[in-house]
Amino acid sequence: MKINKLALFALLGVFVLNSCSNDDDASEPLPEGDYTDGFFVLNEGGIGTVTYISDDLSTVEQDIFASVNPNAADLGAYTQSIFFDDNDRAYIISNGSNLITVVDRYTFELIDVIDEGLTVPKYGVVYNGKAYVTNNNTFNDYTYDNDNPPASYDDFIAVINLETLSVESTIETDSYTEQIEEEDGLIYVNGSSFGYGNTINVINPSSNAVERTITTAFGVNSFDIEDGSIYALSSNSYEVFNKDNGEQLSVLEFADLSGASNLVLEDDQAYFTIDRSVYVMEQNSITEPATALLTYSSTSEYGAMYGFAVEDGRIYIADGGDFSSDSFVEIYSTSGSLLKNITVGLGPNGFYFN
Amino acid sequence: MNIRVFYFFLALGLCVSFTYGQNTAFTALDSVYITDLKLKHYSTGRAVLQLSDSTTRLNRPLLTNTLNFNSPIYFKENGLGMVSSPSFRGTTASQTAVIWNGININSQFNGQLDFNTVNSGAYDEIAVRGGGGSVVYGTGAIGGSVHLNTKLEFIKQQEHNLFLQYGSFNTRDARYQFKLGTQAYSLSIALAHNSSDNDYDYPDGGTNLNGDFQNAALNVGLGFKLSRQHSLRFFSEVFDGERHFSLIRASETRTKYDDLNTKNLLEWEYDFSNFTSIARLAYLEEYYKYFGNLDSDNFSFGKAKTTIAKYDLTYAFYEGLSINSVLTNTYTSGEGSSLGDNDRNIFSAAVLMKHQLKNELDYELGFRKEITNNYESPFLFSVAASKAFSKHFSLNLSGSRNFRIPTYNDLYWSGAGNAELLPEKSLQGQLGASLTIANFNLDLTGYYNSVTDMIRWLPGSDGVWRPQNEEEVSIYGIESILNWSPKLGRKQHLELYGTYAYTVSENAQTGYQLIYVPFHKATAGINYDYKRFNGTVQAIYVGEVFTRSDNNSRYNLDAYAVANFSLGYSLGKEKNYELGTRVNNVFNAEYQSVVNRWMPGRNFNMYLNLKL
Repeated sequence: MKINKLALFALLGVFVLNSCSNDDDASEPLPEGDYTDGFFVLNEGGIGTVTYISDDLSTVEQDIFASVNPNAADLGAYTQSIFFDDNDRAYIISNGSNLITVVDRYTFELIDVIDEGLTVPKYGVVYNGKAYVTNNNTFNDYTYDNDNPPASYDDFIAVINLETLSVESTIETDSYTEQIEEEDGLIYVNGSSFGYGNTINVINPSSNAVERTITTAFGVNSFDIEDGSIYALSSNSYEVFNKDNGEQLSVLEFADLSGASNLVLEDDQAYFTIDRSVYVMEQNSITEPATALLTYSSTSEYGAMYGFAVEDGRIYIADGGDFSSDSFVEIYSTSGSLLKNITVGLGPNGFYFN
Repeated sequence: MNIRVFYFFLALGLCVSFTYGQNTAFTALDSVYITDLKLKHYSTGRAVLQLSDSTTRLNRPLLTNTLNFNSPIYFKENGLGMVSSPSFRGTTASQTAVIWNGININSQFNGQLDFNTVNSGAYDEIAVRGGGGSVVYGTGAIGGSVHLNTKLEFIKQQEHNLFLQYGSFNTRDARYQFKLGTQAYSLSIALAHNSSDNDYDYPDGGTNLNGDFQNAALNVGLGFKLSRQHSLRFFSEVFDGERHFSLIRASETRTKYDDLNTKNLLEWEYDFSNFTSIARLAYLEEYYKYFGNLDSDNFSFGKAKTTIAKYDLTYAFYEGLSINSVLTNTYTSGEGSSLGDNDRNIFSAAVLMKHQLKNELDYELGFRKEITNNYESPFLFSVAASKAFSKHFSLNLSGSRNFRIPTYNDLYWSGAGNAELLPEKSLQGQLGASLTIANFNLDLTGYYNSVTDMIRWLPGSDGVWRPQNEEEVSIYGIESILNWSPKLGRKQHLELYGTYAYTVSENAQTGYQLIYVPFHKATAGINYDYKRFNGTVQAIYVGEVFTRSDNNSRYNLDAYAVANFSLGYSLGKEKNYELGTRVNNVFNAEYQSVVNRWMPGRNFNMYLNLKL
């Protein structure tokens, strides 16, 4: 996904540069829309909402979906994540309503909804005209014991045809299904959920079958793919695998740190969070960082770092607050200085960049 | 400390046991027996709202509906018949204790009772007691308690009462009561069934999908007066409910919830000299199945079996002074999909005393202490006094310390339970005034309640929800209950009744009002009989509520007023038959008590009430 985003950004950059260089003939900048030069904060709700913040952090608009589409139904309960396609569309996943709302990513105008074939959808990624969306389905397949995994799993990946916006098939992975990424034509799915499970499954979209299962530490909560390697973070370890054969290249077992999550690779650095702190180390480091890059203050009991991103020299932190009032995000420079604290919606859980 | 207190109580219990007195039995040969004797005896001066079965028949059989229209308790309901939780005097859902024939039946799993899983038709009497009652009723009696009672009548009788009601959304309600007795024995059987397609239309054009439910309840009471000294009584209930959970939108996962709950209570009363000794043995079973996706047969479950042994000894020094010790052992064995197997044992000792002085001054004292390995149990007390200044006017004052213990879910939920949780504690006081003139009665109560160590579940950045002792809440308010039956001659009968509650319930750290606690709630009812006609009007008003903890008014739920109307006609020589019709929400108010959960608009019922 990171690579996808970068590619999109590069593409965007080209557009912007083009438009800049063509200033003289007064052609409209591409792409067009109120939300082109900024990013979205997804607030899970209750009922999910999206906050728009401009790149210069000066403009903040709450609940842009409702203001652009006043007559449309809402985004659904507990919006989990957003993914984008190559066609300027954003897909907003609501896990509580089994719903994906499709909008124009620059204008936020409603295009359509996908409301069949999903059961607790979580994350999605697009490849070759199709979206692959993970679904938790029921929670009956949690034994809450990594030594006694369930006999079978009911999670599945819904394959959505982006022409018809309907689910055309499903893929089962014999694991839970959470974060999903695409890299070089293969789909990678985290098989750990809420601390249980220990695989990353590699799916070949031409057969819709699991091509390889990589065994990880238990409870991987985030992973990223860079430079031919998979980087997987769990509470106490940071593992690196060869993307092509699944071989473990290195493992960093944390000695003094515990409770790590939110791995993001950016500019050959690995960023992650523990409690209210952000840590950073070399992407291929085999020693843990001694000190935190920054620590922010939060009164949230467990919802600190509810959303996290690192993008273009900035660190983005979303605080869950008390989950029953509007909360905030903080934006830092990668050197750790606070740029701005901005109030957003209920339970902010992610950042998505235009 | 714990052990010492325990021995102190034990010693006191024994002490009382071996002090013999002279007088005759304390419990007279009353013709009506309710096993929850303490409800009357230890509510000195307090206004206890009693709803008879004729009142409960005016409403849908779900307990939420009965209490919503007749008591100051506020309910948030996820649509008609769906999950319903009370807020009594500004407290949370697990801070209202529900007492079945004297026994606390709040769920072992979440500490609450879903008021839409109780069929009012199964009880002879429902009582509502505002304010703390943990000394007598145990966990959860912080905001107040709701009492579901079976009446045993030791009179010669044989009576059948059949009530049938049918209405909109294919809603069926059948209640049958049978009473049989002599002076020596009494049998009470109540059978109730309720089902509904519950597919009402929303004001915004949608329909309540997957909202159907059905339930059946059987409640049996059987009592024998074996001799002047010995009585044996047995109470039993089975409740079987199946409820689908309604959807906000059609794409949501369809789910349902099945309940099978049984309650059994055996008691033996022995009256000798000035003593009344009641030994009770109760066995409760609570079993739920939650189907998280109706497309599959898979379900998760929770099952708790509770055995309670209780010894209750009262000594009456003379008619106005009695002391009472209650020793209780509660053993619960619970299991569940996400809970593993866990047992817990709680021993409690309580001492209660009541003194009625000749100058119309009554007072009571009570203490209770529990001993368990699961949590640190606070010392509980209650004190109350009431003084009648004339036939018409009395004042009462009380104070108490109460608690709500951590539940199975709080302690043991896989990957989330927190074994270090403390009980929620409440320290409260109230001042009440009661005015009675002829057939007019007004009770006014002002109270203050400080609740600490509130347990709250919150999500973490890993997506897991966990409980924590977090908040402190300060609550104060006014509660009033009014009844008036002016005399209108032989052919007419008029009764007016109402309640009003003003509630401020603030998070002590932030000063903000708790979400889903209205400042104002009022109920009103008129009951008018003329010859063979009977007309009733019922109405409630619920003020706006905050849905956000920072009291951001943009997200408030609007206030609403709802009224029901009924008209009945009695037939037969003895007016044994009544045929009637009822219009619920007669003004077609558009309202919801939870965000995005519409309640039904105007709807209709027909009923038949038959007494033999």
